[in-house]
Amino acid sequence: MSKIHDAVVELRRAPGVRGAAVLTNDGLMAASSLDDALGADVVAGLSSYLLMTANKSLGEGGMGTCTQLTVHATHGKAVLLDLTDSFLVVLFDQFADIAGAQKQVQDAASSIRRASRLA
Amino acid sequence: MHLIQRMKIWKELRRLEQRAREQPSPSTFVDLGQVYINLDLHDKAERIAEDGLALFPKAPELRQLLDCARRGLRGKQAAELRAKLTRAPNAATYRELAQLQIELGDQAALHTTCQEWGLRFPDDPGCWLVLGQARLVGFYRDLAAREGQEAVRCLQRAVAMAPGDAQARRLLGEVLYRIGAVHGAMEHLQKLQELDPQDAELQALLAHVQGLADRGDDIDGLLEDVEAHGSLAHPSLAAVPKPQGDEAMARVRDGLAHVADLAGVRKATFIRGSKALVKGSIRDGRDPFLRVVRVVAKAAHRFAKRLDIGSANKTVVDGAFGHVCICVYGEALAAVQCDEGTDLTQVMAELQEIVAGALHAAEGSGT
Repeated sequence: MSKIHDAVVELRRAPGVRGAAVLTNDGLMAASSLDDALGADVVAGLSSYLLMTANKSLGEGGMGTCTQLTVHATHGKAVLLDLTDSFLVVLFDQFADIAGAQKQVQDAASSIRRASRLA
Repeated sequence: MHLIQRMKIWKELRRLEQRAREQPSPSTFVDLGQVYINLDLHDKAERIAEDGLALFPKAPELRQLLDCARRGLRGKQAAELRAKLTRAPNAATYRELAQLQIELGDQAALHTTCQEWGLRFPDDPGCWLVLGQARLVGFYRDLAAREGQEAVRCLQRAVAMAPGDAQARRLLGEVLYRIGAVHGAMEHLQKLQELDPQDAELQALLAHVQGLADRGDDIDGLLEDVEAHGSLAHPSLAAVPKPQGDEAMARVRDGLAHVADLAGVRKATFIRGSKALVKGSIRDGRDPFLRVVRVVAKAAHRFAKRLDIGSANKTVVDGAFGHVCICVYGEALAAVQCDEGTDLTQVMAELQEIVAGALHAAEGSGT
């Protein structure tokens, strides 16, 4: 579990990242490193809601599930990445270059997947 | 209030609650809400007004009740914040209190709060922004030059203290072009664009302002002209006559056809309200792509709003199906489904163009 936490903390250090968290599909927080202004419960609840809603509508349409969901909002950005039984949420500020941070996000996701298999 | 009086009131409340359940009408809800307001239970009055509006959404008396209950709640919140500031002053609480006072329309209290805020936290531009906002409301209402001068002064100070603050810059840019200082306004709007190049609303505003005549940069003189003539030099973006619906929709249709022709794009749609334009391999209105687009756009909007990161303008969903890219502004939405490897930057730019173009489309045109 500490390796998952370490991966999240490492990801948080990337430029423009306001917070990162690993959540179970039903919204339970497994590890997080979030900006003080972000409530862990709020992030968990909303991320789970967004991913579950997207997956439900994709599933009903026979389109499978989503592997990544990216939201660009006026004051921030978010990436939700599927990790099979859980998912990684990364919150960015509005000026962050998500494409530039994609490698760090994918590296963190790989570390978390490896750590989950070993646990 | 002694025990017998309290018992009488609670009995009356139970009677009114029962009446509201058994014979719901706007007046039964208002009577019940009024009792709660008299008991200083504004939260319950708000709930009653909301319940009533769910049944009678057009009843003006229920709207008044809701307004009254909310004002009471805000008044209480303001008193609590004031007490909190006396114990432990901080800039965030001052901001919260000032916003409440703006909503309450309590100008005198707002000025006192901002004065205190500025004295205690001289490096915080927040008090100047809030004062500028309040002065702007007065200026747009009365077109009084003095209010306008104060608004511009406060906003200029807020921008000088925090050049990256988009809100202060936008308000300043808007008031400047409305009074005729178009070149001055463009400077601020262009800076805003540098801060957020993807803001579709800002692009529409820039396009609007660029076409206006400049009347110089003597702000005080321009404000006095506004007061003398009783009208602003230029209309706001929202007030500009909109292009004919057919024309606007033709542009949307062309844009959609163009995006559907991009390599890798399979389906494209433009949705406004309950109607949709489609291009590509979409079978009918029940195509799962259309449902996914609507559901994800709504969920992303709620996600961003509740997370306090503004409006979700662009959303990309990746999966075995490829990508679903959605661009939303207000009621207008454009989306595509495309294969893996498609140039998403280009697709998103095209979708943004379609949505920005549709901003002017007349309500209820043939979508």
